[in-house]
Amino acid sequence: MANSKTPPNDLQMTLLQAQTRRHFLRRLGGGLGTLFMGTSFMGTSTAKYASAANGRSEGSALDFTRDASSPLAALPPQFAARARRVIYLHMAGAPSQLELFEHKPDLKRLDGQDCPASFLAGKRFAFISGIPKLLGSQYPFHQVGQSGQWISDRLPHLEQHIDDLCFIKSMRTDQFNHAPAQLLVHTGNARLGYASIGSWVLYGLGTENQNLPGFIVLLSGGKSPDGGKQLWSSGFLPSVYQGVQCRSHGEPVLYLDNPPGVSRPLRRSMLDAIDQINQQTYAAFGNPETVTRIAQYEMAFRMQMDATDAMDIRNEPDSVRAMYGSKPGESSFANNCLVARRLAERGVRFIQLYHWGWDSHGADAKEALNLGFADRCREVDQATAALLADLKERGLLEDTLVVWGGEFGRTPMRENRNGQEMKYIGRDHNPGAFTIWMTGGGVKPGITHGQTDEMGYEIVKDPVEIRDLHATMLYLLGFDHHKLNYSFQGLEQKLTSVKPARVVAEVLA
Amino acid sequence: MTLWGHRVSSQLRSGLLVLAPILIVLILLVFLPPDGNDRAKWAQFIGRFHPLAVHFPIALILLVPILELVGLNSHFSHLRLSAGFVLGLATVGAIVAAMLGWCLARSGGYSGPILTQHMWGGISLAAVCWLCWILRASASRPGLLYATALATGVLLVAWTGYRGGQLSQGDDHLTEYMPLGLRHALGLSDAGPAMSSSAANTFYGARVEPVFAARCFTCHGPHKHKANLRLDSYSSLMRGGKNGLVVRAGNVQASELFRRITLAPDHDDFMPKGGRRPLSAGQVKLIELWIAAGASGTLPTDAIKDAAAGSTSPTVVTEVTFEEIDAAAVTRQRAGFAPELARLQKRFPSILEYESRGSVDLFLNASILGPKFGDSDLAALSPLAEHITVADFSRTAITDRSATAIAAMKRLRVLRLMHTEITDPTLEGLGVLDQLESLSVFGTRVTPAALPTIARFPKLAHCYVGQTSIPAGISVPKALIGKLVF
Repeated sequence: MANSKTPPNDLQMTLLQAQTRRHFLRRLGGGLGTLFMGTSFMGTSTAKYASAANGRSEGSALDFTRDASSPLAALPPQFAARARRVIYLHMAGAPSQLELFEHKPDLKRLDGQDCPASFLAGKRFAFISGIPKLLGSQYPFHQVGQSGQWISDRLPHLEQHIDDLCFIKSMRTDQFNHAPAQLLVHTGNARLGYASIGSWVLYGLGTENQNLPGFIVLLSGGKSPDGGKQLWSSGFLPSVYQGVQCRSHGEPVLYLDNPPGVSRPLRRSMLDAIDQINQQTYAAFGNPETVTRIAQYEMAFRMQMDATDAMDIRNEPDSVRAMYGSKPGESSFANNCLVARRLAERGVRFIQLYHWGWDSHGADAKEALNLGFADRCREVDQATAALLADLKERGLLEDTLVVWGGEFGRTPMRENRNGQEMKYIGRDHNPGAFTIWMTGGGVKPGITHGQTDEMGYEIVKDPVEIRDLHATMLYLLGFDHHKLNYSFQGLEQKLTSVKPARVVAEVLA
Repeated sequence: MTLWGHRVSSQLRSGLLVLAPILIVLILLVFLPPDGNDRAKWAQFIGRFHPLAVHFPIALILLVPILELVGLNSHFSHLRLSAGFVLGLATVGAIVAAMLGWCLARSGGYSGPILTQHMWGGISLAAVCWLCWILRASASRPGLLYATALATGVLLVAWTGYRGGQLSQGDDHLTEYMPLGLRHALGLSDAGPAMSSSAANTFYGARVEPVFAARCFTCHGPHKHKANLRLDSYSSLMRGGKNGLVVRAGNVQASELFRRITLAPDHDDFMPKGGRRPLSAGQVKLIELWIAAGASGTLPTDAIKDAAAGSTSPTVVTEVTFEEIDAAAVTRQRAGFAPELARLQKRFPSILEYESRGSVDLFLNASILGPKFGDSDLAALSPLAEHITVADFSRTAITDRSATAIAAMKRLRVLRLMHTEITDPTLEGLGVLDQLESLSVFGTRVTPAALPTIARFPKLAHCYVGQTSIPAGISVPKALIGKLVF
């Protein structure tokens, strides 16, 4: 009877009275231990970060929440940005830096000699076995522009812009196979499941044009990059931020048009009904993916008008198409470059181009340095140069960041598959050093950062990790790479991952 | 009597027993002195416990006079009973510490005067402790001799401890941050660390050695010669260390010193060791240039052109830093127009935004709306005009009627009017935009007659005039030379 009448206050009192000194001491011990662990380990980890992160600011996290109905709404960057959008030209397969930008006369001199054993010790190669021969550049180099940068004769159009380009010749990666290396370049991680840089940028900045996807992917070269669609995946970010792969001829996005017999108003009323059901589902379960689905339906509806127009290069004057070397109806890098400019003009945040076919092992004519490689150069040279010229002419290069590069470099040794001399000339993968270039918003023009040894094999000065490149790109877009993050699986996930990354201050204008 | 005699003999026995290890350490010190070479892993492993173990005897020795003095008061006389026991512990501790110290010094690559002093200080301290112990035990009432020995012990602890601190923390670990007044009172010089001895008018003396002094002398300087390497004079630098030369004149890549300072900081061979801050890019560059130029000790200061001036600010590249946004201050600054902005953002979603999260400036990208954006829309933005610093009206339907609305955006830095109906009169009306840096009239009907107007923008860096009737080869006003992009 007494029990049933005990009010909650009494219960609390009883509980407190039941707590003995022993309880207290036990709790105290645990508590003190927790305090100690907290201060000492938290302390070390933050101190480590602070020292590693060159001046990272501690403090509140940035808020990226948006209205559920407009997950792609534009948000201001963390601080004043130098670039508002990115055009990333990825040369899938990894072009040989030694045939394009890395002038190594000593390697040329030693062409055909046995590779020194020190080059091979402790290294893993995709195909090289035994003792390969050194291989000098297959093309002559010359100096151009006021900056006097070296370039081979394969890129005669691009070299007219050489004083605008900022070369990083000391890029390195820890992946020597295409798919993981491409994943590392585009998601900051060699494993599947991470968000691509375009998704991060879209998550951080949103997009101005709500009638087009904010992150568009265009492919050319006849094959998808080895990393596949994971390269533009949103990973753990809400899937509304993933890249939208568009085709550069025909319908830009398949099944975007209304089927025969369905009018636009009918489509609208159909979407309204679906939306209602989706809203109910969202109210019941609260899964953000439902919101993504609603937003995607709505965007698809708006895109029906705008995407087709944006992608249609027939609207460009002949002179512009000639400048790019583009032919409507083809699936080519030139067409994609022209589309990229049109998308940049229309406020698309991140435009990602992949051109496949740079894997110059020399296993057949298509991937021989003296044959297929030259074709690849021709395919990209004029179009890339035209894209830069076009952006420059319109003033868009001021706030557009253009990045060009592959996923790793190529060896100064000639590939000798199975230890035998091959019919065609090629090079194996070299994760130890490769070249990329950047230009546009906030990038210091006409400079070279980093240096490799006389053979172009290993970096001797200013190595730049992929995460450093990412930190630099995000910096140009107005973010501290520590602050652009997303809570997932107990970690503040970020593009630069957990190792310390450095903004390459030397390449900033 | 026999009882007393028995006590003496047992005291003496244990006393001699303790003296034995002291003598052993003494013999080790004399016959196997620390000589700056790295030796067996075991000895070094054990030796590393020396800095840890020394605190034990230090505390105990300091405790003894406290027990004795406080014990003089009759209330605390019981404390004196334990003083002898504590002294015994201190003696054993001092001996153990001295042995560990010898292990560390002998195997860890230490040598130099400070080490020698620390070493003799330590062994003397063990001996003095032992002496105190014996004196205290043998006399019924501790006399003047015991008091003197104890005082000596305390002074020795302080002195030896200070020398040990200098070995591990650097010469000036106590005085480095001493306030200037105190410094003067103690008669210390203003400059903390000992500076270079080499001539100040040589590149080496003025530029290179100060880097070594600041970053390397702690281990490779006058007082400590790790790996038998000293960097405190040109001749000792060029002589190298126990592994041979560290600098090869003219050959940067073959110079061990350069290799070590440019490795990845987590590499075993990286210098400076032990988690110390790496040399800055500027300091590395300086050393690289100096070695490449022949590593001369007599090269004049100004002989190497590329070396960035001023050894006090050696960093060539400023690292990027991120400043924290003061959210409250930003909100305050925005308060005046935030409601207006919110209203207009509803009308023009996603095209009107702050330049950044910490900024009060606005970016306007009307080009997204294309022909749907006209003169009346632009007029609606007038309440925010003076906050807009970047405006893109490309492909919109705005006409010359918007001239005054654009001119009201007095703080514009970037203005894009590509593919619009804008003509020369609008540009004439924009003369008030004295902050304008970039103007794009690409694909408009702007004519060469507008060039003098364009030339009047004081800060203009680029004007994009492609696909207008302005021909590429036209002669332009002086103020526009190099600024027109066709």
